[in-house]
Amino acid sequence: AAPFRCIYRPLWRVITGSGRLTVGMRNISFTENHFSATNHKTASVGSPWTLHGAVCLQRLPVISQDRNPIEEEFSGLMQQMELERSLLSDHELRLLEDAARMSRKQEEDYDSDEEEDYGDKEIVTAQDLEDAWEQKLKQFHPAQRSNGDKLDVSSSERCLADSLVLLIKQDVGSQKVWLLPQVQWKAGETLRQTAERALAHLPADVKATFLGNAPCGFYKYKYPKDIQKEGSVGAKVFFFKAVMCSPNHLPLEKNSFAWVKKDELKDFLTPEYLKQVNRFIMSL
Amino acid sequence: MNYLTSIKKVILLQNTRALMCAASSVQNELLTTQKVPWGALLTNRQYRSMPTHGIGKYRHLLPKTLPKKKKDKIQMKQIKAASDTEFGVLNVCVSGYDMTLVEHYSQYIHNFCNHLDIKVVESYALPTKTTEVMVMQDQGTKMYVDGILKTYERFVQISEMKATLCPIFMEVLLKNQPEGVQLCVKEHTEADFQSRFKARPELEGLIAKMNN
Repeated sequence: AAPFRCIYRPLWRVITGSGRLTVGMRNISFTENHFSATNHKTASVGSPWTLHGAVCLQRLPVISQDRNPIEEEFSGLMQQMELERSLLSDHELRLLEDAARMSRKQEEDYDSDEEEDYGDKEIVTAQDLEDAWEQKLKQFHPAQRSNGDKLDVSSSERCLADSLVLLIKQDVGSQKVWLLPQVQWKAGETLRQTAERALAHLPADVKATFLGNAPCGFYKYKYPKDIQKEGSVGAKVFFFKAVMCSPNHLPLEKNSFAWVKKDELKDFLTPEYLKQVNRFIMSL
Repeated sequence: MNYLTSIKKVILLQNTRALMCAASSVQNELLTTQKVPWGALLTNRQYRSMPTHGIGKYRHLLPKTLPKKKKDKIQMKQIKAASDTEFGVLNVCVSGYDMTLVEHYSQYIHNFCNHLDIKVVESYALPTKTTEVMVMQDQGTKMYVDGILKTYERFVQISEMKATLCPIFMEVLLKNQPEGVQLCVKEHTEADFQSRFKARPELEGLIAKMNN
């Protein structure tokens, strides 16, 4: 029998993430240098299970989570303590000096030649600078932290503080079932390429980075008795994790796509499937 | 006179005998107060054969440390190559404008690696880079300094991470990344190592002169 040789070369890549509040996504750039594994498997000596590759596409959290009331209090306390223990900065010292100089000017026996460091501090005082900065700050409007309930399940700009997973409604056999996008494995390709194909099959054009060559989860199910042929007993699905790089502005169909958090998964997935999927989806 | 000196000798002998009896418990001799010949007691050194000989010695157990020369050039540790199932040496670089966030995030990564038993070779920082933001004045051509931004960078060097553990590691890092902090994972090269040192312009000038 031909030897079953599976070489997984690890990939090295550069992932940079920058958090920007205005855009609903972080930019992840990705350079890949991986050697595709050669997967020689004789088709005749196959197992009765058909293989599928599925992709667990995640949208990472864009902003940090909100704090508990206790955390809020503690952070307020720490800030107050730091403020009380800190020394005066250059700008604050300048403010005090200007105020002192002003009060000296009002006196009768004021001699301007005695002043040191005259220069242009007369023209632009520290207070003026502060006022100019305050004006600039008022012109800056930060983006909204939470979009509220305006967005429904099919938008990827939903809960910005949590990570979301993409689910699609596919028909498996005769029923329409919510599951992670999956596609059947073809001979001669690695399972990861199958997962990449599953990603490409989605109608929306998403750019995603796969996190590794190793699958993160696995689910097997048996076909119902009437469909079981001689060769196939059921199917095994291998899940691969991927992270979304670019913001997805294309609207997806509401009934067939959903971006869900971990605790909302139970509303969509069947219990057996959910049990396996919950093992590898992290609720961070 | 003779009697006194002899009494002193006897007392001395008795004292030494008492000490030796206290030190060694194997002696079965009858303790007599009679005069014992001098030579026998003094040549009877039994402690080297005692089972407790050398008790308390520890120097021989420590690893041999050679005395460090000051002129030693800092050699780079050998960069391990990647194998089929493991990465070689990776650099996790955390950079940003806010020092507390950058430092806390790099400490979090370090602790996370310790918890997962990933070998952390080194954890160092690059010097702070200061950037001045200059803005054109509204009326006029002069630029004035609007603000000063400082970029901080921290590196955590990891070696021999399993390829199966890598996706989980990356996912946790990406999910916990704070806003305003950039994360970068790359392979460690010799150029990275050399970039930590300061450039020596006089040395380079002399070398260039020599070569010309």
